[in-house]
Amino acid sequence: MFHLLKIDLKKLTGYRTFWVVCGLYFVTLAFTTASGMEFLKWLAGKGAEFGQDLNINRIPLYHFPDVWQNLVYISGFFKVVLAIMVVISVTNEFTYRTARQNIIDGLSRRQFLFSKILTNGLLSLMSVAMVFFIGLVTGFIYTPEIAVSDIFTDLEFFPAYLLEVFAFLSYALMLGVLVQRSGLTIILLLLSHMIEAIVKVNIPESAGFLKDFFPMQAISNLVALPFARYAFQEIQDFVAISAVVIALGWAFLFNYFSYLKLTRADI
Amino acid sequence: METVLHTDKLTKTFGRLCAVNRLDLEVNRGQVFGMLGPNGSGKTTTLGMLMGVINPTAGNFTWFGKPATHHTRKKIGAVLEHPIFYPYLSGQKNLELNALIKGADPAHIAKVLDLVELRQRKDDKYKTYSLGMKQRLAIASALVGDPVILILDEPTNGLDPMGIAEIREIIKRIAADGKTIILASHLLDEVQKVCTHFAILRKGSLVHTGPVEEVGKGEEVVEVMAYHDDLSHCLHEFRGALSVKSENGKFLVRLREGFHSVDLNKFLFEKGIVATHIVTQKKSLEKQFLEILQEAASHRQPT
Ligand SMILES: Nc1ncnc2c1ncn2[C@@H]1O[C@H](COP(=O)(O)OP(=O)(O)O)[C@@H](O)[C@H]1O
Ligand SMILES: [Mg+2]
Repeated sequence: MFHLLKIDLKKLTGYRTFWVVCGLYFVTLAFTTASGMEFLKWLAGKGAEFGQDLNINRIPLYHFPDVWQNLVYISGFFKVVLAIMVVISVTNEFTYRTARQNIIDGLSRRQFLFSKILTNGLLSLMSVAMVFFIGLVTGFIYTPEIAVSDIFTDLEFFPAYLLEVFAFLSYALMLGVLVQRSGLTIILLLLSHMIEAIVKVNIPESAGFLKDFFPMQAISNLVALPFARYAFQEIQDFVAISAVVIALGWAFLFNYFSYLKLTRADI
Repeated sequence: METVLHTDKLTKTFGRLCAVNRLDLEVNRGQVFGMLGPNGSGKTTTLGMLMGVINPTAGNFTWFGKPATHHTRKKIGAVLEHPIFYPYLSGQKNLELNALIKGADPAHIAKVLDLVELRQRKDDKYKTYSLGMKQRLAIASALVGDPVILILDEPTNGLDPMGIAEIREIIKRIAADGKTIILASHLLDEVQKVCTHFAILRKGSLVHTGPVEEVGKGEEVVEVMAYHDDLSHCLHEFRGALSVKSENGKFLVRLREGFHSVDLNKFLFEKGIVATHIVTQKKSLEKQFLEILQEAASHRQPT
């Protein structure tokens, strides 16, 4: 297994685009998630200009345990950058025809796919580690009174976030394997939410429950929007088992479709 | 002799096009086996099936007497059609990747780079290489892991005469090492120069297979010169002569099956004529190739 991961990483670590895109991802992710208080201050400043009073200390954005769900939710928006990297990595293999040569050299088609899935897993884990680290640091900085039990509350959002990123990267990998052209694949990837929204609008009210089964929706359902709680609204501050099951199902299916395509087609 | 490759009615169709048609091939250990055929005759498609990237429509093949798996492919070094590498990686890094996939000792890389004379440029990115260097790197990559068999598909395609000579030199050196080589080419003279055995493909069908040296066999044409007033008449008297033609002061004698230049020489000697010049014209593979293709075409016409 490590052997396959090593093969894929060897392809990527010599590729400048990989470092640029991943660098961009981790820097913007860190910067955005860590600058929430600055954003609130700016917002408060703007508010003051219009005679509105916003007490930013009343908003425990970075307090344990709120910080976990807040950061995980925001981080979810950036996964598309990683997904674009995955698309580039896999479509390159088809445009350069290196997938073909890998197999000629003695990789099985299954191993080829597995090496890509392993990289997806690694990227997802790194993203999780990054968000956890930023959450921990900002939590310690901003939480007025730290209780150990608060730190360990709501950590379930991390496995959920791992699944969210991994499922989406699996989706990107599948698109890349099916379409094989980087430009077209990236466009499809970026339009996925919109295409799904259009389909969902046309679903009759009576079948509304189906909406949670759509892939993009299923992936978003893992971590619910937390910020409404600061406007005294009820939020879902837990990970729903049904969402996990559906997202797991999709992650499996995405990779299975890639598998079918790769093992059946001429390469 | 040990059979390395055996194909049994191997077939591939793309829609209505039959790219490879019930192909039976056999390659034995130590052969340099040429697959000769015009462009589009199905050479690359055949090799693609043998290397697991194209799924056969019908038929079977075995490597080393067993159905192929990806483990089999690790023992075969192959480059199909064009050199394929990661353009952004250096030659060295690309070969390291090949070695990693094949489970080969990376220490071997320096040796193959030397063999193809690319050591100096090994740390440059692949995309900066000239075509000749790319072809040579492809041969190097096929040799990584010291494979039992080497498959080369049009290895001199697009090269200048110097590059072609270099590549042929490398192939001969590898063949001298005793490796089994399968060489696909549309160039007769390439097959003639480096191969021991060959097969001719035409529109996906096998039209001929056999040793290259046997190609010269069949009826012989012998050039004769001698100081004799009526040489033509004497030659006509020879029992083994099919026809006698005069050309540039020489006589060309076509011999019947089973007769050779020695017999003709003996015949003249007994007549008291000493030949000043007597040479067997080897029938070139090119003539044979065209003949075989024509023959195959005329066989097909009635159907
Ligand atoms: N992927 C493909 N789809 C459709 N036709 C193909 C494909 N690959 C090869 N062919 C056709 O199959 C025939 C044999 O091609 P190929 O094996 O490349 O010949 P060669 O290597 O002898 O030049 C050609 O007519 C070619 O156009
Ligand atoms: Mg070809």
